Amino acid sequence: MPLPATDVPAAGPPPRTGSPRRDPMLLLVVAVVLLVLRAVLGLREAPPQATPGPLSGPDVVHWRTLEAGLAETRASGRPILYDFTAEWCPPCRMMQREIFADPRAAAEIESRFVPVRVLDRQREEGRNARWVDSLQARYRVNAFPTLVVARVDGRESSRLEGFMGRDFTLGQLRGTGVNLRWGMTGQAPPDSR
Amino acid sequence: MNVTLVFATLRQRFTSPLRLVILLLLGWMPMLQILLAPRIGFAALGDCYFLTLTLAAGMIGQDLSSGTLQLLLARPVTRAQYVFSRWGAVAAGTFLIVVLQALCAASLMLARGAPVPWGQAALYLGNSALLALGLAAVMALFSSLASGIADLGLLFLAFLSAQVLEKVGMFKSWDWLARGAGELLRMLKPELDLASLVHGGQVPWPAVVAYLSTVTLCLALAVVVMNRRELSYASSGN
Repeated sequence: MPLPATDVPAAGPPPRTGSPRRDPMLLLVVAVVLLVLRAVLGLREAPPQATPGPLSGPDVVHWRTLEAGLAETRASGRPILYDFTAEWCPPCRMMQREIFADPRAAAEIESRFVPVRVLDRQREEGRNARWVDSLQARYRVNAFPTLVVARVDGRESSRLEGFMGRDFTLGQLRGTGVNLRWGMTGQAPPDSR
Repeated sequence: MNVTLVFATLRQRFTSPLRLVILLLLGWMPMLQILLAPRIGFAALGDCYFLTLTLAAGMIGQDLSSGTLQLLLARPVTRAQYVFSRWGAVAAGTFLIVVLQALCAASLMLARGAPVPWGQAALYLGNSALLALGLAAVMALFSSLASGIADLGLLFLAFLSAQVLEKVGMFKSWDWLARGAGELLRMLKPELDLASLVHGGQVPWPAVVAYLSTVTLCLALAVVVMNRRELSYASSGN
């Protein structure tokens, strides 16, 4: 909405400089210096990690690398559970604390799935490893945490976005595991706790 | 920065009915999530990207297209002061909404008997302030280039182009293109994560420099563009 003419403020004391169009030379110089520094730091930055780093904090799930996970899922027939996560994301830490750090929940996850963690490093390092970007694009990941269950052929079976509590998350994962294992869709999963 | 201009901008932004409706919708939706799952904490609030965009759209361009700018600059105000005041007002307005949102969220958590993560709240407020300052600077630049709310179109176009270039770079394995487009994307959403500073204990210098570089560059260019803009009472606004 445009500023009504009656609202044009009486703008305080007159400027100290003569010209109202003086370019902010100091700001321009600072901006250019920072831009150069940015480029230098960007070039010196180490390439992103090829394997997922651990989230800080306790975690008892044995996360596989992508290659090991794909090989294991082909051999065992168990679906892959991708955990799309990031260090900075508070719900991800909550999920880790309540599920992945719990030995019982971790054992249950490992018995049903081949767990693969996909750690986003965009904020920390400015970019991700190519395989991380590729998986995020393939499974259309827009938020963290996102759990994606993928069949042996790579097709997405189900997904869970956000963290809605331990029981809800485990309940959803149990349902997914049963559906995948026996191919029963739309059937209420038995509670395996 | 001119305090009078800052308050005038805030009054202008917060008396626009359409803006208020959008702000209410954006602010209300996360509250439902907290009401249903209060333990999710302040993460449900997300970031203030769209709140800032709502307040920032047309922050300079609407004055250009309406002819208000000519009247305003007839006063003893430099164009740099005008740009900085607009930027400061949009960032301050966004932060005001974010604080209100956080207070509402904390009240809902307390009402539902969930613990309020005050540390998370402080991080949320800090990150929001930085995002609001950064995005308002980017929008100041786009808004100085286009009249009306075409700045939103410019932002969308730049975002789309950067996304396409990044995907092309990744597909063709052209690292330089993918990285360049990634930097452009970072410029379009300038943010700094204070959590990595608090939890990691180390200052992420590349991220700090990238953020400061975006903010200073956008503001400086916005002033330069405005300084070179010829205004006349016979102008059609372009």
